[in-house]
Amino acid sequence: MRALRQVLKDWEAVIGLEIHTELTACDTKMFCGCRISHDDAPNTNVCPVCLGMPGALPVPNVEAIRCIVMAGLATNCTIQRRSMFYRKHYFYPDMAKNYQTTQGPVAFCMHGHLDLRVAGEAALERPDDTAQKADDGSYLARIGILRIHMEEDAAKMVHVGGAEGRIGGATESLIDYNRCGTPLIELVTQPDLRTPEEARLFMEGLRQTWLALGISDCSLEQGSMRCDGNVSLRRRGEVCMGAKTELKNLNSFKALHDALAYEICRQAEVLESGGTVRQETRHWEPTRRRTTVMRVKETNDDYRFFPDPDLAPFDLSDEFVEECRARIPELPDAKRERYQRQWSVPTYDADRIAGDPALARLFEAAVARAGVAAAPMVANVVINLVPGHERLNEAQVASIAQLLAQDAVTFAQAREVLDVVDGTDDDPERVVDERGMRQSTDADALDAIVREVLARSEDQVRQYCEGNRKVLGYLVGQCMRAAGGSGNPKAFNRLLSERLETLQ
Amino acid sequence: MPATLDQLSARQIAAGVASGAFSAVEVAQAALDAIAERDADTQAFLQVSEDLALAAAARVDALRAAGRALPPLAGVPVAFKDNMNLLGTRTTCASHMLERYESPFTATCVQRLLDAGATPLGKLNMDEFAFGSTTDSSAFHPTNNPWGLALVPGGSSGGSAAAVAAGEVTLALGSDTGGSIRQPASLCGVVGMKPTYGVVSRYGVVAFGSSLDQVGPLGRRVEDVALALNALVAGGRDPRDSTSQACEQDFIAHLDDPIEGRHVGIIPSLLEAPGLSAEVRVAMRLAAERLEAQGAHIVEVSLPNMASAIAAYYVIAPCEAFSNLARFDGVRYGYQEPGCATLAKQTSLSRARGFDQEAKRRQMLGAYLLSSGVYEQYYLPAQKVRTLITADYQRAFERVDAILMPTSPTVAWEHGAISDPAALYLADVFTISSNIAGNCAISVPVCLGSESGLPIGAQLQGPSFADARLLTFARALERSCSMEGLVAPGFAGRGGELA
Repeated sequence: MRALRQVLKDWEAVIGLEIHTELTACDTKMFCGCRISHDDAPNTNVCPVCLGMPGALPVPNVEAIRCIVMAGLATNCTIQRRSMFYRKHYFYPDMAKNYQTTQGPVAFCMHGHLDLRVAGEAALERPDDTAQKADDGSYLARIGILRIHMEEDAAKMVHVGGAEGRIGGATESLIDYNRCGTPLIELVTQPDLRTPEEARLFMEGLRQTWLALGISDCSLEQGSMRCDGNVSLRRRGEVCMGAKTELKNLNSFKALHDALAYEICRQAEVLESGGTVRQETRHWEPTRRRTTVMRVKETNDDYRFFPDPDLAPFDLSDEFVEECRARIPELPDAKRERYQRQWSVPTYDADRIAGDPALARLFEAAVARAGVAAAPMVANVVINLVPGHERLNEAQVASIAQLLAQDAVTFAQAREVLDVVDGTDDDPERVVDERGMRQSTDADALDAIVREVLARSEDQVRQYCEGNRKVLGYLVGQCMRAAGGSGNPKAFNRLLSERLETLQ
Repeated sequence: MPATLDQLSARQIAAGVASGAFSAVEVAQAALDAIAERDADTQAFLQVSEDLALAAAARVDALRAAGRALPPLAGVPVAFKDNMNLLGTRTTCASHMLERYESPFTATCVQRLLDAGATPLGKLNMDEFAFGSTTDSSAFHPTNNPWGLALVPGGSSGGSAAAVAAGEVTLALGSDTGGSIRQPASLCGVVGMKPTYGVVSRYGVVAFGSSLDQVGPLGRRVEDVALALNALVAGGRDPRDSTSQACEQDFIAHLDDPIEGRHVGIIPSLLEAPGLSAEVRVAMRLAAERLEAQGAHIVEVSLPNMASAIAAYYVIAPCEAFSNLARFDGVRYGYQEPGCATLAKQTSLSRARGFDQEAKRRQMLGAYLLSSGVYEQYYLPAQKVRTLITADYQRAFERVDAILMPTSPTVAWEHGAISDPAALYLADVFTISSNIAGNCAISVPVCLGSESGLPIGAQLQGPSFADARLLTFARALERSCSMEGLVAPGFAGRGGELA
């Protein structure tokens, strides 16, 4: 098979995503009072309603509706003031009623979009002449969102004794209804994505948005956020869509990207050898790094959709929508922008922090203490030192960032100090002083050491002047030894370089 | 001379228990005695819940012994259509599918009668899953009309109507999707009310057509029915049924208000309907005269789209039935075909053997009507018809307070006399439109047919959420018809003596 970037020079990939997210932030299921939990013993969070016992009736969870409205507002959707629940019928025991309560033609949220900035390596998948790229190769892509609708999740089934855990050939099938009825939102994109990287960035951006809204834990591994991809190819410049395949088991960002990349190359090979792409559902096998056929769709399933007569149409008031809007916090894009513009945080760091609500909270609280000037260093600490020290508070983060900014400790020392204070209320500065770790920043004292070391290192000085810059490291080490470990290596490095340059 | 239970109204029983004239346990035993004596003939009951009845009665007696005020239906014997969950009983829907299904909880309507102090005597026969108007489609046995054991009691709440008409219980609950309370009430000579959709909670009642189903009481007196309705709405709307609504709370206070100067509508063309028997037509004229004699103005009105109601109903009801009954697959509960090698086989054989003919016919009809391409041609137009019929009622009720019409085109017929399902469907012509529009309706016995000697009910329909006013008209009719409290002739006084 040809490489992806080569294939995309000849073919345009048309990609759409369907993304399901469990609203794990809701205390209870969509239509009953049962608790939502991934961890409880099977069939313990169940009641007559979610088990579909005869006579039980659904009552909609208003908190879940609030969540989907917030999701719609955050993704620029129109919030439909009147929408209804529908019943989607299929006979399978993972749905206790043999129908799923979902939405019909009018979902709570319609016609939104999310903007992607595609930069660096990710931008290379898109041929230059198919996007308006900036000088650094980056480009913006607006991805349309067709709809976001509300539905209930199915139960979990485990098939024992069959091949690949499927029901065919299984000797026994187990059902856990704990998940059945969990509020689920399904977002369907327009077929606006053109590369696997764009798909990955969309999914990442959406996950960051949902996390910022606090509507879900968005765990791809646990399945609280799940993505199916649809992809078809057409010759560059063509308008008609080709036959598409649907990809399942995309349970990581990498799987999403790699499965789409594989599928694009596979379809290109089929088409280039004169074949036709079959409309089918394919399963991504991460270990063998390929997709295989799950089932061929010959006819469209008839789900016999009709409005659920147990649930009155939903009329959302202006007050309700405004209340939801007021609950939307600053979203990752705005945060990233603010960190970069106002606090001079480097792009990569701003991206990482803005996309993670917990990191962002810690970061902003620490900046409030350490001061805006220290923000880039606080960002550095939050990204590089906080992982592994998850119990640090904002005062400790601010303190260590200030010590680093003053060159009073090295990064290695900072890590040591954090090992000590993590999970306590201790001030890192006190630990540094107690242990005599503070690096001298007294310029005269350091300069004296530098002069002394250079005086006894004639060989190395000569080598440096001849162009061997590597000896600088040796000289820094000598200075550190002479200082008894209390000097700052960065300061020695700077002083040594300055002096050596004048010697040349 | 000792009284028999069937002579007493619900209010008299509750008052007797409260005053100590008799205990609730004595009433329960009298009811059990009456059932033992009479039910062999009617076969109205599917289960008699003796233990639950005696325990509930004992609780009422304990309340009285403790000097506490007694609830309004203290000790009143009631029974429930077998599509209503009651913890401690099976809820079979008269189907093999649920033959051994134990209720895991209690329906709101049942619980509210229990909270009002009523004594639960058991579960009553019905057409399988409420599909029918004879009770002959019960998977277990037919029920006989107390006015003639060879006759059907009507349906689908035939067990409820027969048990009340034979004096086995004072009150029963039924459910009405297209006339299933009113038609058997008419055929058995009792009062049966379908309240406005949303007045009574559907939680715990096995659904047939969710947008049409409404629970209501059957009794031998309008006052008994009004007391039951009071209990059914006590506590306000049920948060577990999102289609239930807050409504008026007192159906007794205005029961005996005069109807003088009020307007009652009649629809002359309905009395010319083919299939309407002569004696029913006579009974309707009689009913109109009785209301007029009390000062009501009889006004001609029309419901121009009423003829389309049956067509709309036989689209909407099967669609909802198909969907509601999809859950019966034998996986979690209900009949499970043994020894199936695959899930698909187990599902289809469990359904094939668990459901009887009429239940299958309606579900297959619904599955077809909901399929893509067909849905647009039937379901959507049926919903439009629904809007038109609702508008017809609104226009009519601008001019009148109630509309008088027959409940059933004929008196009760013999078991098996009508075998064509379409002919049975057409007999629902007078009752279906108020399920389609959701407004309230009640059937009140007017007289015995001049030829058949069998009871004939008149139907009064009122605007949505004017249930109390509808009961005022029903009471006015009852007052002038001398059928109040009537027990079917062969049954009155058989067992059920109160010491």
